[in-house]
Amino acid sequence: MDSGKVKFFLGEVLRNFSRNTGMQVTAIGTVAITIVLLGLFLFVRAALADIGNRLLDQIEVSAYLHTDVTPAQVTAIAHFLAEDPRIASAQFVPKKQALAELRARTKGTIDTALLTENPLPDKFRIKTREPDDVPAVAASVRRLTGVENVVYGQKIVQRLLQLGAVLRRIGIAVIVVFFAVAGIIISNTIRLTVFARRREIAIMQLVGATGTYIRLPFICEGLLAGIIGALIAVGLLAVARAALWPRLLEALPWAQLTVMPVDARLFGAELVAVGAGIGVVASWISVGRHLRT
Amino acid sequence: MKGPLPAMISLRGVTLVYPNGVRALDNVNLQIEKGEFVFLVGDSGTGKSSLLRLLYREARCTTGEIVVDGIRVDRLRRKRVPALRRHLGVVFQDFKLLIDKTVWENVAFAMQVTGAHTRDVMRQVPRVLDLVGLSHKSRMYPGELSGGEQQRAAIARALVNNPKILLCDEPTGNLDPANTTEITALLQRINLKGTTVVVATHNQAVVDRMRRRVVRLHDGRITADEERGYYYLGLGQSQVLSG
Repeated sequence: MDSGKVKFFLGEVLRNFSRNTGMQVTAIGTVAITIVLLGLFLFVRAALADIGNRLLDQIEVSAYLHTDVTPAQVTAIAHFLAEDPRIASAQFVPKKQALAELRARTKGTIDTALLTENPLPDKFRIKTREPDDVPAVAASVRRLTGVENVVYGQKIVQRLLQLGAVLRRIGIAVIVVFFAVAGIIISNTIRLTVFARRREIAIMQLVGATGTYIRLPFICEGLLAGIIGALIAVGLLAVARAALWPRLLEALPWAQLTVMPVDARLFGAELVAVGAGIGVVASWISVGRHLRT
Repeated sequence: MKGPLPAMISLRGVTLVYPNGVRALDNVNLQIEKGEFVFLVGDSGTGKSSLLRLLYREARCTTGEIVVDGIRVDRLRRKRVPALRRHLGVVFQDFKLLIDKTVWENVAFAMQVTGAHTRDVMRQVPRVLDLVGLSHKSRMYPGELSGGEQQRAAIARALVNNPKILLCDEPTGNLDPANTTEITALLQRINLKGTTVVVATHNQAVVDRMRRRVVRLHDGRITADEERGYYYLGLGQSQVLSG
């Protein structure tokens, strides 16, 4: 490799990059803002999803059995539950145990000693692998002979599942909009730098530089702007996290935010990659449009 | 078509109509041999620049056939244009130098952006700067040079890739008489080294002093083509003036 060539090329990129400071600052700022918003958004989404999943994880399906259920029927039900791949665990709770649990749970509030007989039915306590499967599993269990009633937090589960779906959709829409805005602004910035260097480009074309060679410095500039902007954004996000995370834990104890819902290092790397991607794509499009004759 | 044409530049039945309907060139036929020195003369807007633009494929002819150094320019794909331009040097009235680069950098730029090896740049740039007589000002910026020196730098840049053809569009249009003489002499020297030189100009004094081939354009048509010609057809006006 000819080191003089590389030096010339990098020199040109850096010279142009530093010459159009105002424009580059605009581009870098835009990328930074976009990435900060994107980062915050993804983080909030991940945190909400995390809380939602935790709540959903706690949800179990209780299948109450008829009082006159036969041991054969119980075995059949247990067998059926063990076969279903959606079910993570199914535990048989006989009425004695249920009463003992009730006593333990209501200690001091209700005097269960008043009860002359056990009013509770036998039941199965079922946990699904995926929260999404809860309604379907409940429905199929209800159809079994010997099952009197099936109870789970219907409303909560449905709300949470709906919320998750809505969040996903809004998330995609918001991200698309962010990207479009950032892309347009960077593309405009690059167009200004292309315009500022139209003499240079004209001369390059005149002496027979290839289209790729003419484009490359602009693409590199876009890449550089994208990476710098993203690094600034990641820095801001890291500072914000360090400052706000402990307070967030304090403010929302019920959310049980014990750990970060995302791997910070991986997340940062992804954001930088996204910034670089925006820079390259936007500059590619913009330069291409200008060079077309 | 039988084999490649022997001429360095050949136009056959070339017509150029701009999108706005202006007919810049109308059925132009012209042959320029290797090593020739040719003036394209005519008033402004008669198609001199358009003709040059066709040769370096800045414009495409509407109909006709153009061959430059064996390349069918009229059929040339956009991707192949850079290859054509590396065979050509082009010089303009306004020099088109980069004001934030030194003379050396401006000249080297033409090699560097076409991917030349640094070793070749280091060898070739001093050579052309010496040819145009600017070696001692290679570290200066265009703004620190006279018009004539700027044009010499531009010519050095046009020559640095060793083109077979040098196209000049009003090279002395912005220069005073002294600098004009200097540039004309330089172009002649370049021609003597074997480069085919085509100069579009409306500088009568230059044309009449040089007495080279003169191709006269009027309203997009060639109206005269003379060996050892004058600016005005068969009339040595400047000879009368300059004695």
